[in-house]
Amino acid sequence: MHIMEGFLPATWCIIWWIIALPFLIYGIIELKRILNQNREYLPLLGATGAFIFILSALKLPSVTGSCSHPTGTGLSTICFGPFITSVIALIVLLFQSLFLAHGGLSVLGANILSMGIVGPLAGYAIYRFLKNTALSMYITVFAACVVADLFTYLMTSIELALAYPAEIGGIAGSFTLFFGIFAITQVPLAIVEGVVLTLVFKYIVQLKPDILVSLGVFPKEKIESARSEF
Amino acid sequence: MIKKYTLEIITAIVILLFIGGYLFTASTMEGAEFGGSDGVGSAAVAELTGQSEDSFEPLIPQWEPSSGEIESCLFAIQATIGGIIIGLVFGFWIGQNKKNQVI
Repeated sequence: MHIMEGFLPATWCIIWWIIALPFLIYGIIELKRILNQNREYLPLLGATGAFIFILSALKLPSVTGSCSHPTGTGLSTICFGPFITSVIALIVLLFQSLFLAHGGLSVLGANILSMGIVGPLAGYAIYRFLKNTALSMYITVFAACVVADLFTYLMTSIELALAYPAEIGGIAGSFTLFFGIFAITQVPLAIVEGVVLTLVFKYIVQLKPDILVSLGVFPKEKIESARSEF
Repeated sequence: MIKKYTLEIITAIVILLFIGGYLFTASTMEGAEFGGSDGVGSAAVAELTGQSEDSFEPLIPQWEPSSGEIESCLFAIQATIGGIIIGLVFGFWIGQNKKNQVI
């Protein structure tokens, strides 16, 4: 999902930075608030953030014959919401811009917006929608992770399409082109990511259900029943 | 017993299918280079604008890893940082749970 340094015109870099900044600032405020509230949240934050570090470092081959990487943002989004997730995405993407030439400082705003904000927001919407339904907790987590991953690439396609409208078909035309490149590669990766993060979530439920209950991630009864079921 | 490990089994099956998909593509698709989709995206930008990919200069000067080896080393470091934190946290939790059980 990285837009490479130099591949977005300066105007768009600035626009995406301006849109991303309020989310990051609010994320930092939120981060301080929850850590002051309960220090027990820190390990969970570390673990969910660490999965973003790992998963976004894995370039996996896909059925289209090209490689891409998962985003790993779903778990952190479910536990801490999209704003805090955007701060973790900032750290990961900054690391990759500075040391790996993946993305860059000018396009960082655009990359944070896709991986750290739009993807997590979409995943969060799905999670909130399914949270209190009778659906299994694990299916909810799976769906949120898959959606967060796919919407990241959807947003990247939109960013590229807005900057480079096709001669024939305009913005919609180039969106189809970019989304075609990213989406088909990404679907299998998103499913693997969703399954793996769901399994991780199961282990968190088994080890530290009290933190999830106190964060209000899922209702207490759901967590209790999931613990006895699986 | 099986129910207890349902999620683990599903995960294993999905990962195996994923590997199978890769092996199938790698052996049947001609010209599959398994390059990064970021690069394919950049190539599409170059095609749309009619400029060569090299003509896109970084807006902000950027350090680049000197070779693919160094790049993969740095990616491994990124994953290692994540792995250490996850091991630490889960170990901490398991220890915490054990301690609470004793009391």
